[in-house]
Amino acid sequence: MSHIVSIQTEVRDPVAIRSACDRLKLPEPVFGQVKLFSSSATGWAVQLPAWRYPVVADVNTGKLAYDNYNGRWGEQKQLDRFLQGYAVEKAKIEARKKGHSVIEQPLEDGSIKLTVSVGGAA
Amino acid sequence: MSKTIEITVLPNGQTKVETKGFVGAECRHASQFIEKALGQQTDEVLKADFHQSASRQQSVQEEG
Repeated sequence: MSHIVSIQTEVRDPVAIRSACDRLKLPEPVFGQVKLFSSSATGWAVQLPAWRYPVVADVNTGKLAYDNYNGRWGEQKQLDRFLQGYAVEKAKIEARKKGHSVIEQPLEDGSIKLTVSVGGAA
Repeated sequence: MSKTIEITVLPNGQTKVETKGFVGAECRHASQFIEKALGQQTDEVLKADFHQSASRQQSVQEEG
């Protein structure tokens, strides 16, 4: 009847990246090669608030490249916020593709709960 | 009981997916599309009623 699965989010969907940026009022993501401090990365670049360099998502691997100099060039919580927004948007996209309805609800601890009704519910 | 998939996205972007109202192993199948889409599974817990309802499902199928 029931099971609980924990998942480490991987950023693999450009559509959901764009939705997460819209949701968080960030500039639109841009695809290309981006220079970080001492390296470069290719993928979808997202500019987080007050981050010196963008975060670059390689949608083939699901990995993020960034250099925030241990928080001095960008707060970790901004990256966490982006990951949360991405996961919420990605889950909603996938649920709707299957024809399921989704209700979103913020929780007191800062989590976001999505309830997906499977079969029948409008 | 209605069938739902509850997805809780923590403030750090990690996600927990929980199924409710499904019969037996059906719940695994039902939520697989979300789990695969979100990323790498790090943990799975089968709730006690997973096994109970699996046997219930069997008896229903036998009757039907």
